[in-house]
Parts: sequence; structure tokens; C-alpha cells
Amino acid sequence: MELVINGRTASLEARTIQDVIDHYGLAGRPVVVEADGEVLTAPQWADTVVRPGMKIEIVHFVGGG
Amino acid sequence: MISDVLRIGGRTLSSRFFLGTGLFPNPLVQKEAIKASGAEVLTFAIRRINLESPEDDSILQHVQDGDFIYLPNTSGARTAEEAVRIARLARASGLSDWIKVEISVNERTLLPDPVETLKATEILVKEGFTVLPYTSDDPVICKRLEEAGAAAVMPGAAPIGTGLGILNPYNLSLIVEEATVPIIVDAGLGSASDVAKAMELGVAGVLMNTPVAKAKDPVGMAKAMKLAIEAGRLSYLSGRIEKKRYATASSGLDEFKLT
Repeated sequence: MELVINGRTASLEARTIQDVIDHYGLAGRPVVVEADGEVLTAPQWADTVVRPGMKIEIVHFVGGG
Repeated sequence: MISDVLRIGGRTLSSRFFLGTGLFPNPLVQKEAIKASGAEVLTFAIRRINLESPEDDSILQHVQDGDFIYLPNTSGARTAEEAVRIARLARASGLSDWIKVEISVNERTLLPDPVETLKATEILVKEGFTVLPYTSDDPVICKRLEEAGAAAVMPGAAPIGTGLGILNPYNLSLIVEEATVPIIVDAGLGSASDVAKAMELGVAGVLMNTPVAKAKDPVGMAKAMKLAIEAGRLSYLSGRIEKKRYATASSGLDEFKLT
């Protein structure tokens, strides 16, 4: 399925957000996901079904002031 | 001495040092600098993860073994709307409901946009965040942010990363005088003397990143800043003498002079 992840088109096998997270090896990491503008907490990932063209942002904390 | 603690958003802090986590030469130095600073509040930014090398260490891995309050910022936001979005993402991490509102449009000065900052603060306070807006050193906007429900207000001393020190001590002292929430000087400080001066103006604390992280010895500078905060605070509480134009002998007892 074609998804737009962090601004880039990506083609991957995924049914839910959890699958996307697993695909990138991010399970257990302190990341936050936004899907089509909606912020999702980790417990919501497995229940959120992805759809073609969905805009997904995967973000994390980095150094900053 | 009476106990002198800082309270923000229902939390009691024993350190008045808020430390940024960017620009350190490496994680080990950063960790040591955090330890030397005694800071309890650490700031972070929110960015997209690099999917091409997701094994890149998250900053949190290096600081997780302390009992810190995380203060994510909304850097990168150019509007209130963008800042609110970043704040919501930060909170969804489950790590913190504190947020430093930081909205800049001008890339050269990175000066905060006070109008957008006020808008974002109003929205985020309603959503239950503990909001600490970074803003300009203007007494009126600082008061407006307080009225909007900011848990602390953070005026800049000078533009971010410049190390120019306190450009307008008069404004800063007015901000402190009028405030009923803690005032944290955020950005622009360069050295321990700047920090001591800020604390002597009566601010509740300072937030720094570049002057520590980019110092020749970040760990040494973290310690210096910590001591300057303590010295400046104690000096403020103890009440400095009035400035006078002419000398006053410290020995007194004029009638016993030899000549």
C-alpha cells in the first residue's frame, strides 16, 4: 500500500499503524504518530487501520533548547 | 535561610536551571553536563524520525536514568496552529504535559512572534497543558501570557544562541515586578555573569542551551552556571546595597582617626 510517511511516499505491507511501526523497527521506541492530522497514542496504533495515501508522521524527541 | 523553592504547574523544583539538550559534542558530555548542572527540567525538540536510519539514538536514551521533567518545545512552528500540533504530538508521547511554546518566523533573529505565541498559549492552556511560552522581553506581552494561563513566562534576554546577555535589564526587571507567575529568562545568555545578573533582577530561573553545550568545557560551564544561579538568587534575596556616587569608608569610627 502506498502511504505518505514523513513527507515521502512509501510502499509497504501494512494494515494498521502498528504494522507501519513494526516495519521500520520502531516498536518499543519513544515515538509518536500522527495519521491524517490525528495524534495517536501508542495504545491506538493497533486499532488504527491505514488507507492508501494516508499521511503519517512519525516523530520523536531530539536535542533542543 | 527560609526555604526557597520554585513551583511551576503543581511541581516543586529545587533547581532554577532549565537545561536544553541540543548541540552537545556527544551524549557522554551531555550526560555529565546535565549532572553538573543539577537541572531538573530538560528541554527537547520534536522532529520527524529518520526512517532511513531509524537506529539513530533517541535523545531520551541518554537521559532516561534521571528523574527529570521533560519540557518539549514547539521549535520549527511558525504559527499558533503549528505550535499546537507539535504540542499535541509531544503530549502523546506520554512523557510530559509541559510545553514550551516557541514560535519564530524570522530565520535570522529567531525572535518569537508574540501574537502567535499568545494565541497558542490560550489554546494549549484550555487543553490542559502546563504552558511555558518563550516570548520577547516586553512587559505587556508577558502580562498577557500570564493572564492567558501560562504556568511560567519565559522572556528572552537576547536572540537564541547569541550569548549577548541581557539586552534590556530594565524591561526584565519590570516583567519580574509585575508578574505573579515565575519568570524564566530563556535564550541569549552567554556566561555565568549574565546568569548572575538575570537572577539578581529577580527572575525565578534561567533556561540555557548553547552557552553550556558550545562552551569549550560544557561540564565545567554547566557547573559555573549552576553556581551563578545560586549566587545571583541569594544576592537578590539578600538585598544589594544602593549605588552611590562617592566613597564611604568601611572602617567608620571617624573620631578615632590618627591624623
